[in-house]
Amino acid sequence: MKVFIDPPNSLILFDLVEREGHEPLSTMAAIQEKMERTEIDMPPMNISLEDVMKGLKYAGIEVPSGVRGRLAVWGPMIESAEAAIIMEDCPYAFGCVGCHRTNLMVRYMIKKRGIPVLDVNYPNDEDQARDLVVMIRQFLGGLK
Amino acid sequence: MIKIAQLSCGTEYSSVQYEIEKAARTVGANIVHPDVSASEINAAVERFGFKPQSPQLRLMIARAVQLADKKYDADAVFIATCFRCAEGALVRNELRRFIQDNTRLPVVTYSFTERLKAQQLMTRMEALVTIVTRKELLARERQSGITAGIDSGSSTTKAVIMIDNRIAGKDWTPSGDVIASAEHVMENALRQAGVKLKDIEAIGTTGYGRYRLGKHYNAKLVQEELTTNSKGAVWLADRQRGEATILDIGGMDNKAITVRDGVPDNFTMGGICAGASGRFLEMVSKRLKIEVTELGALADKGNWRNAKMNSYCSVFGIQDLVTTLGDGKTFEDVAAAACHSVAEQVYEQQLQEIDVRHPIIQVGGTSLISGLVAAVGEILGSKPIVPQNSQYIGAVGGAILSSGFLEGM
Amino acid sequence: MSAERETRIIVISPASDITPDQVTRTIHSMGRKVTVKESCYGAVLEGERDVVREVIAEIRKLDANGIFTKVRAYHAGDPRRCRAHHGTRPGFAQLEQEWGDLWKIQHGLDCADRGEKANERKTEEKLSVERFKKICEVK
Repeated sequence: MKVFIDPPNSLILFDLVEREGHEPLSTMAAIQEKMERTEIDMPPMNISLEDVMKGLKYAGIEVPSGVRGRLAVWGPMIESAEAAIIMEDCPYAFGCVGCHRTNLMVRYMIKKRGIPVLDVNYPNDEDQARDLVVMIRQFLGGLK
Repeated sequence: MIKIAQLSCGTEYSSVQYEIEKAARTVGANIVHPDVSASEINAAVERFGFKPQSPQLRLMIARAVQLADKKYDADAVFIATCFRCAEGALVRNELRRFIQDNTRLPVVTYSFTERLKAQQLMTRMEALVTIVTRKELLARERQSGITAGIDSGSSTTKAVIMIDNRIAGKDWTPSGDVIASAEHVMENALRQAGVKLKDIEAIGTTGYGRYRLGKHYNAKLVQEELTTNSKGAVWLADRQRGEATILDIGGMDNKAITVRDGVPDNFTMGGICAGASGRFLEMVSKRLKIEVTELGALADKGNWRNAKMNSYCSVFGIQDLVTTLGDGKTFEDVAAAACHSVAEQVYEQQLQEIDVRHPIIQVGGTSLISGLVAAVGEILGSKPIVPQNSQYIGAVGGAILSSGFLEGM
Repeated sequence: MSAERETRIIVISPASDITPDQVTRTIHSMGRKVTVKESCYGAVLEGERDVVREVIAEIRKLDANGIFTKVRAYHAGDPRRCRAHHGTRPGFAQLEQEWGDLWKIQHGLDCADRGEKANERKTEEKLSVERFKKICEVK
């Protein structure tokens, strides 16, 4: 199943989802597709003005361009996701997940879809890490 | 290669990173991102004291701290965040202050939309590079020899002939064809100065038409207007030493430049909304059926509080004007309100991007509109200095700086 | 490369005994049509999607719970990502941070493999206003 991960660029979530035989929907994969578009030369991420305009589907013109550009990347992934895992309190979140307002909107969009969602917290110690892995395995194992 | 450190949030997802890098490359600079390791970010944010929710803004802070601590070497700083992001705007401005307090690096801030094109950044990037590469030239306080400066602006074209540190000839005309307008004002300025074009030892061009004119006149100096205006302003106002803020409310875009000993160290250049431009005052004059040169004196007799005008947009601004006149307000009050409206918006939209240092030297064609100068003074708390020939700053700056190329000849 | 290309970063948990050199040598020895570059955290692997995934499955066998991987948007050696060109990109700090915490996840995976259960999540509740008021009144 297609599982949207949040933060969408997390190595930990990507790996845990893939280990359980599901397809993680991540920023990296979406940007990798854009990288292959040779007709566009907008380094470093090949995000074009048209991409940012597509973000208007999710947020109005009064919303900063960076938010709309990000939503244009994640919106279609959230729409195609069959499940999602949201990890809260991450001590990291740079680059594509660098905008807090976008992150709030992404979580809202996931919840609005009505798909199965697992909310977990970033682990602070070994016990919490065990709980995190066990819960994710249970969640992914239960997806049909 | 000049290294411009970029501290930003949202540029890549707004599809403008490429434009930023293109603008930098065009003026011979390279955009760099100060290296920072994950473990340094929290400590940097703690030290800075402002803890934004957005992690990318925290990364921006950590990168700024690297520059302040001289752990990363750069020549200038470009700080940019998304237009309309409050959190980004707060961090952008405070980081600019932090960089200025902790380094001697020139810095420019910018808030962008997805429509940003390299062309819009060129003047800013060029000015940053000039500050870094032409320190000696910028430190020049006197003009020598026989030189000319031509300022090809969006509204007017100005020419000045300088001989041994004095203005010997000058002229201006509304801008039409770039070359024809320049030739016209040069001819008159040369006649006034009593010299021929062949006698001119160096020419400096500035303004929108600077490249074409530079080629046409084989100019020694082709320079963006932030640099020439600041030099011209401190020379005209005799404020070569110490600090000052130069304010130029232009026909199309406004410039506010802070200088230290005549050398610019921070500037803002804007003009998203025409309600804050000299052009708006031209439109108001037209509606009042007076010359724009008469607007200032009219405004001096009025009281802006009697007429409500405060639109960001020139079109809505004129709508305000029509309504106000319809209500029976006097031309004097309306003229004062128009001047106040422009001054207020320059303050709201632009002067927040720099730390205003006194004295304020108001220059450019609009500095001749006394009502506007009075309005700026009222809003900023002290009356700006308007030097003689204030509309010629760009041309004067061009003439002074180009004479720097004569030495050793 | 075609749209089927996939670039991966392989990241080794700091608690694993496997080294980046071992990972790259193992991949080389497989003789598959992929390119692999050693990195400070593991390796960057690139090739046709199916082949890359088969290689990943093999590599995981070196240390099932100590080797992690995710897709990388950029080609291996892409100048747009190159640190030497213009400094680190924002994602670098994140990767650094995640790498530093992989030992915890490795531990979690080991526990899960042993069939350990998750503890019930306790949410800490804030002191009620009434209780806080009483505490203040006592003083």
